[in-house]
Amino acid sequence: MDLYYIQGILMLAGINLMSVLGLSLLTGFTGMFSFGHAGFMAIGGYTSAMMTVNYGWPFIPALLMGALTAALMSALIGKLTLNLKGDYFCIATLGFGEAIRLVLDNVQYFGGARGWPGIPNYTNFTNVLIINIIAIIILANIIRSRHGRNMIAVREEELASQIVGINVFKYKLISLMISAAYAGVAGGLMAHYMTFLQPKMFSLVKSTELTIIVIFGGLGSISGSVLGALVLTSLPEILRSFSNWRLVIYGLSVIIIMISRPEGLMGGYELTPSSMKKLFTRMRSKKGDLPKGMEGGNTL
Amino acid sequence: MSRFLQQLINGLSIGSVYALMAVGYSLVYSIMNFSNFAHGGVIMLGAYFGYYYLTKLGLPFFVAFMASALTTGILAVVIERGAYKPLRERKAPFLYFIISAMGASIFLENIVIATIGPTFKSYPEILSRTPIQLGSVTLGRIDLTMFIISAICLALLVFFIDFTKMGKAIQATSYSVKASALMGINTDLVIIVVFALGGFFAGIAGVLFGMKYTVYPQIGIITNKSFIAAVFGGLGSLPGAVVGSILLGIIETMTSGYLSSNYRDLIAFALLIAVLVIRPSGLMGKVTEDKA
Amino acid sequence: MNILEMKNLTKCFGGLTAVGNVDFGVPKGIISGLIGPNGAGKTTIFNLITGVYKVTDGKILFKDNDITNKEPYLISGQGITRTFQNIRLFKKLTVYENVLIACHSNGNYNLLESVLRLPRCRKQEKQLKQKADDLLEIMGLKDRKDLIANNLPYGLQRRLEIARALALNPELLLLDEPAAGMNPDETAQLMTLISDIRPKFDLSVLIIDHHMDLVMGICEKIMVLNFGCKLAEGTPQDIQNNPKVIEAYLGVEG
Repeated sequence: MDLYYIQGILMLAGINLMSVLGLSLLTGFTGMFSFGHAGFMAIGGYTSAMMTVNYGWPFIPALLMGALTAALMSALIGKLTLNLKGDYFCIATLGFGEAIRLVLDNVQYFGGARGWPGIPNYTNFTNVLIINIIAIIILANIIRSRHGRNMIAVREEELASQIVGINVFKYKLISLMISAAYAGVAGGLMAHYMTFLQPKMFSLVKSTELTIIVIFGGLGSISGSVLGALVLTSLPEILRSFSNWRLVIYGLSVIIIMISRPEGLMGGYELTPSSMKKLFTRMRSKKGDLPKGMEGGNTL
Repeated sequence: MSRFLQQLINGLSIGSVYALMAVGYSLVYSIMNFSNFAHGGVIMLGAYFGYYYLTKLGLPFFVAFMASALTTGILAVVIERGAYKPLRERKAPFLYFIISAMGASIFLENIVIATIGPTFKSYPEILSRTPIQLGSVTLGRIDLTMFIISAICLALLVFFIDFTKMGKAIQATSYSVKASALMGINTDLVIIVVFALGGFFAGIAGVLFGMKYTVYPQIGIITNKSFIAAVFGGLGSLPGAVVGSILLGIIETMTSGYLSSNYRDLIAFALLIAVLVIRPSGLMGKVTEDKA
Repeated sequence: MNILEMKNLTKCFGGLTAVGNVDFGVPKGIISGLIGPNGAGKTTIFNLITGVYKVTDGKILFKDNDITNKEPYLISGQGITRTFQNIRLFKKLTVYENVLIACHSNGNYNLLESVLRLPRCRKQEKQLKQKADDLLEIMGLKDRKDLIANNLPYGLQRRLEIARALALNPELLLLDEPAAGMNPDETAQLMTLISDIRPKFDLSVLIIDHHMDLVMGICEKIMVLNFGCKLAEGTPQDIQNNPKVIEAYLGVEG
């Protein structure tokens, strides 16, 4: 278990985390479930690879290009599907995710189903770390602002949000686009880490994995997503020898989580200095020293 | 022209198997309002059970067939009890059901990979592979069998739903679970029956699929297409599931025959997207409203 | 001067006419009432005004602007807010969060400014939070600001919904059965509250309710609806003495 190996696992976790952070905004905070997010990763991955390989672009601009393309694609998809009811939206994202993969399977320019090797290895521990930190800060700032609160309102009660003056469609679209952009960056990081791209890396299984991580960490919690991505990415890697059983346990744990603790690891709470303080004060004054009614979460 | 007829017949044959799979989705959706993604895994296991009963236990074909269907029927109910009933009891939002279903689907697919292994298995030859010649059209014996068996099963299902007491109970529950319960219908039993039915047909479809193609753990993915057929026909509508499946089967084989088989899957998903964007309730599906 | 005008307002659901050819003006600066038996179409009218339902025929004018069939969030932006018959609070969020969310339109910093936490964003956030606090203070909910909305007693939930509506600086406030489920004591408190906030926030108010003591007590103009059509319109005195209203709704003496 050397440093290099640990770094590798952390990098994979970091790449997953990028996607998960985006999905967290869409699912955890805006309340829309997507089973096609791997599709946005694919778009970002292939676009950024095209920029570096075919046009010789430097890494960061290529990543941003991937993010932009993914975001634009999501806007198109959003226009078509955001007006659908909850479960139909789910199915639509599934459809689009698979459709993107199938198209890539058939486009020989990108290597088709065989894959695209020879992508430069630009991803390293430092840039994954920095990009993730920036991504978390951006997300946290959005959530803290009135825009983030509006997304949460959409998640809680769509009709009431409308009445309270929130343009529900606009916020769903913004949420979708940002989440797609994050996934696009993740795809680009993945492409330049694996140095190889293949459409089946972005299948329904991947999309489902991402959603599962968000739920495991707890909807509406950034720290939950971070923990979830770290735990759920590293654990199977550490248990490499049981690789066949990894997904078996995965599937089973999903069912168990949904049955017993659907609010996930963090239960919608955040791991911030102020919430830790509150936790300690509550633990210290079990005898009811606190004034009546000091409850409540810290999602805002 | 004969090419057209040939494709049409092929389409009908695969469409009829999709129909067997699709009714499972529609039945569950009509009662519980969620898409049971674990269904694909059950179909896949149907193919495996069939293989096992035929080869390892050496049972005669018809017995193996029935045994597989019964096993998957029971399996489907077990999944319902384990993965969905607890959610129903705490009145979880439907999305939790979908996640749980995804979990079950991943579990089923991978437990097969982990235990039996990912290698493809072939069914022993039950029907001769020589096709029947009908004028300029060739009819594979397996295709014909698939079509006949599916047709019989669907007819039996229609009879069950329309003419038996339990069938009526299912119809009632699909309109409103609460009202049916208040009318004295044992809705828990109805749910068990619905899953058992879906599972039973899944088993049959799985065996048929295994007969025609081969058996491997990822069969569940192919069955996503039957889900698309169910959406196309209208989730929650049994006739819709059948119609949607036949149409999808035909569209697929036409695309495969006239364009290229690469586009076959893509066309299915393009159809799904088109349905959702233009008319989400499909050809014959339920439409629900929200009172302000 | 009418702040809201409904002209020939009609809404059909398939073959059923829920609201038929209703003409009604809501005067500015007073509390008006909308009464009628259950199923008369009162909430439907609210839904039509706020854009939740699309009209089948007719027009709705707010301050002489045509707002018929506009999107709900736009109508809210114009100055009309409402509460719901079956309380649509953000149930799992706290009291404070419910009001704070509604304060969003009091700021106009964009997404980029929030990501970079620019000074304008920070300044406006402070103002929003102050406004939320002030509102809670006025509505007497300040000491419960961290309670989960769903855990509030029923009467306070209704009050919270009103507080949330006020966060949007409305000119017209629509209250859908605000006294539903309240005992006479609570109803009296509600009457005082509404009478107080009307001048304080310079509102026009339209109330739907079945509590006649509330309606007759604080409304200056009332419209009676029956089977989707206007039955009568006038002052509380007029309505109480109108034989058609008495027969349809208020009750005939034995």
